[in-house]
Amino acid sequence: MNGVILAQTLVDGLILGGIFALSAAGFSLIFGVLGIINLAHGIFVLIGAYIGLAIGRETGIDPLAALPITVIVLYVGGYLLQRTLVAAAVRRGSLMSSLLITFGISLMLRDLILLAFGPNVQTLSSSWLLPTLHWGSVLIDGARATGLIASLVLLGLLSFLLYRTKLGRAMRATAQEDFAAGLCGIDVDNVYASTFGLSAAFAGASGIIIGLINPFVPSDDNYWTLNAFVVVVLGGVGSPMGALLGGLLLGAISTFSSQYVGSLYPNVFIFGTLFLMLILRPNGLLGSAYKGSV
Amino acid sequence: MSILSLEGVGKRFAGLRVIDGISFEVTERSITSIVGPNGAGKSTLFNIISGYLKPTEGRVAFRGETITGLAPYHICRRGIARAFQISKPFPELSLRENVLVAANFGRAGERDVDTVTHQALDICNLRPVAAQQARTLSIGNLRRLEIARAIAARPLLLLADEPCAGLNDTETRELSEVLLRIRDSGITVLLVEHDLKAVRSVSDRVIVIEAGRQIADGTADEVFADQAVIDAYLGVPMT
Amino acid sequence: MMGAFNKRITGWEWLGAAAVLILLVLLPFVASSFQLRLAQQVLLFGGVALAWSLLGGFTQYWSFGHAAFFGLGAFTAGLLAQALGHGISGPVKLLLGLALAALINFAVAAVMAMPVLRLRGTYFAIAMLALAQVLGEVSKTFDIFQGSMGFVLQRIAVPGLNSVQTFYLLFLLFAVANVAIFVWVKRSRIGMGLTCVGQDEDTAAMLGIPTERYKLLAFVLSAVLTSIGGVLYAYSLAFITTDTVFRIDISLNLILFSMVGGLGTVAGPFIGAAIMIFITQVVLGGLLHLHFLVTGAILVFIVIAAPTGIIGLRNRLPGLARRATGSEART
Repeated sequence: MNGVILAQTLVDGLILGGIFALSAAGFSLIFGVLGIINLAHGIFVLIGAYIGLAIGRETGIDPLAALPITVIVLYVGGYLLQRTLVAAAVRRGSLMSSLLITFGISLMLRDLILLAFGPNVQTLSSSWLLPTLHWGSVLIDGARATGLIASLVLLGLLSFLLYRTKLGRAMRATAQEDFAAGLCGIDVDNVYASTFGLSAAFAGASGIIIGLINPFVPSDDNYWTLNAFVVVVLGGVGSPMGALLGGLLLGAISTFSSQYVGSLYPNVFIFGTLFLMLILRPNGLLGSAYKGSV
Repeated sequence: MSILSLEGVGKRFAGLRVIDGISFEVTERSITSIVGPNGAGKSTLFNIISGYLKPTEGRVAFRGETITGLAPYHICRRGIARAFQISKPFPELSLRENVLVAANFGRAGERDVDTVTHQALDICNLRPVAAQQARTLSIGNLRRLEIARAIAARPLLLLADEPCAGLNDTETRELSEVLLRIRDSGITVLLVEHDLKAVRSVSDRVIVIEAGRQIADGTADEVFADQAVIDAYLGVPMT
Repeated sequence: MMGAFNKRITGWEWLGAAAVLILLVLLPFVASSFQLRLAQQVLLFGGVALAWSLLGGFTQYWSFGHAAFFGLGAFTAGLLAQALGHGISGPVKLLLGLALAALINFAVAAVMAMPVLRLRGTYFAIAMLALAQVLGEVSKTFDIFQGSMGFVLQRIAVPGLNSVQTFYLLFLLFAVANVAIFVWVKRSRIGMGLTCVGQDEDTAAMLGIPTERYKLLAFVLSAVLTSIGGVLYAYSLAFITTDTVFRIDISLNLILFSMVGGLGTVAGPFIGAAIMIFITQVVLGGLLHLHFLVTGAILVFIVIAAPTGIIGLRNRLPGLARRATGSEART
């Protein structure tokens, strides 16, 4: 095996993995705290990318500079969505109903994106990207490196939020035992909605970063939802560290399979991995970081 | 005539002896009660008989055949049913349907499902509420539903796990009558129960175990007057 | 999930079912081609949704990836037809395709069943979703399956009938067969056992219900019937690619139709399919771009407001029940 190709594949895999990790962190959070598989997750990622696109078109602001606005818009949107539709589904009691509700939401939002932006392939470009680096014969793409750095910073921020702030403590307590958390004076409904908002916000942020690296279309949402699911299944539920681990593993699986097996079908490997993991270790490689998975 | 016999049954969990050398026979068409303090090993004994646990030593025989180590499903098909303390009905089905399911499956062999269902409902005094959805039932009715479902499986032996726990006096009395009717219908009953008044009123025979060992065996009156039982379990003689 | 087990099918219900059947057989000779195309879809996808209900209608094992079997059936028939070449007539190819698709899906479902049926609830749903995605990707990326280019299937022509009428009648046959199988399962011990699995699987096993065997049976039967629907669909289109059969919205529609009509009922999936197809293709016929928006909104509405579907609503409103006592609804 050629050493340079191996090193290049590894580097590419780790960079991709960092971005995957960010894209899945929010999904993992909702799964951990609310116990819901959010099938609208992928659409949140895409909405982030499209908001970046719209802001760029209308005002000329760089997508990376538009990141805070995207985050705020998606936080508010996610918060309200949870308070209204998702909470109603959870009250229905069955796990299936939350799956169906979030699926319904994703269908509606996807159609709205189509109406607003059309079905064409879009890309984001930023003037703030790092230059492409050469490290020996290994090449580090500037856009990807920028994306990785932004992802790691955001994952660090999420960790800080979860482990060092009052809201984070409330979220972790609620994840462990929502009833007891309520008895301790935590406004559980608010925690749920905030979790949803936070998850949407981080998904949106990852959408901008993904848009800088890959072209995107409105029908990509299933891909990102399943991708997040694979990351969670690989890394375990709930914690940013789990998401990072799962993301890195998935990045490596993706780049190694395209390098050494065939570049045409990384998706076969990604979904195949998901399928195998569900069957072999449904609680993730490390088990679950929060409450036991359903 | 004995229907169930245990010969030197013992169970160790990683060196800890939970039960040790338990031997007794259960007479057909009788109510035999097993009593003893918490942690004495009663539940372990039930789990062994119904196949959820394998004993580390000894033999369990049902109608002369060894059943030690058979899977719960097979034991159920042979005719041992178990009513759990925490009843788990099918919540969306009516009470009658809950019982009907057990009558359809349960012990192997031919049966008239409707007759079996009606008998089980009658024995447990559940006819008046048979059309109700199971999730709407009170705890007393729920407990009797659990028993009705167990006997609708047409067992030869019913294992009843603390059927009176958490019931008030009226409900306990009603349940005791149910147990007597079950015995009179020809089903042998093996009972684990903490409510000694109920035990005394229904049991043909009482076995006391303490710390995994059998310390007394006889009629209720004999056993509750036994000094060893008073010391180990009752504290003061029963009035 | 309602009504008593083993309730007798009344004479009126037989009569109603027969009347509906006669009307459905006569329909292709009076309806317009457009109307008939809509009816085709109701029968086909209602029938497949009923096949989905064999497992999902009774239990919490809701497959989010039945397009896997649908697509596998369609591709099997397509590839077989291609391999057989032009020397063999269309109907023979169709029959051989049905047989091979049933066989392959039987095998695939039987092998898949053991691992996936061990997963419960949402994990089962996602595993099936992933299975459908994997099969779709495989069909697209490996050249031998030709999923991205697609392939053409021979037209099936019956003297005296045009193509729409022919496939309408085939779909009707498919729907009737699925109804018969569903009613049989529902009224048998298997249906009773599965209903109990849906309520509490552990308790069901404890009462002596062979839960594993019943789940396996329902899953495999559901997969085989779904694949037969896929074969018929492929022949009716005469040209398929990965994107026409391995579609996530097919998987979703099966669930949606069952929910809109009423889960676990015979008529439910057909009522649901009729309503949804009417809304998306007639009411919104000119607004293709709003289909997903409306479908999503209806899904959300149904889950929140009417989780038992139209039939469930009817049962909750006894006044309405008298008037609406339909044909095949209650069995």
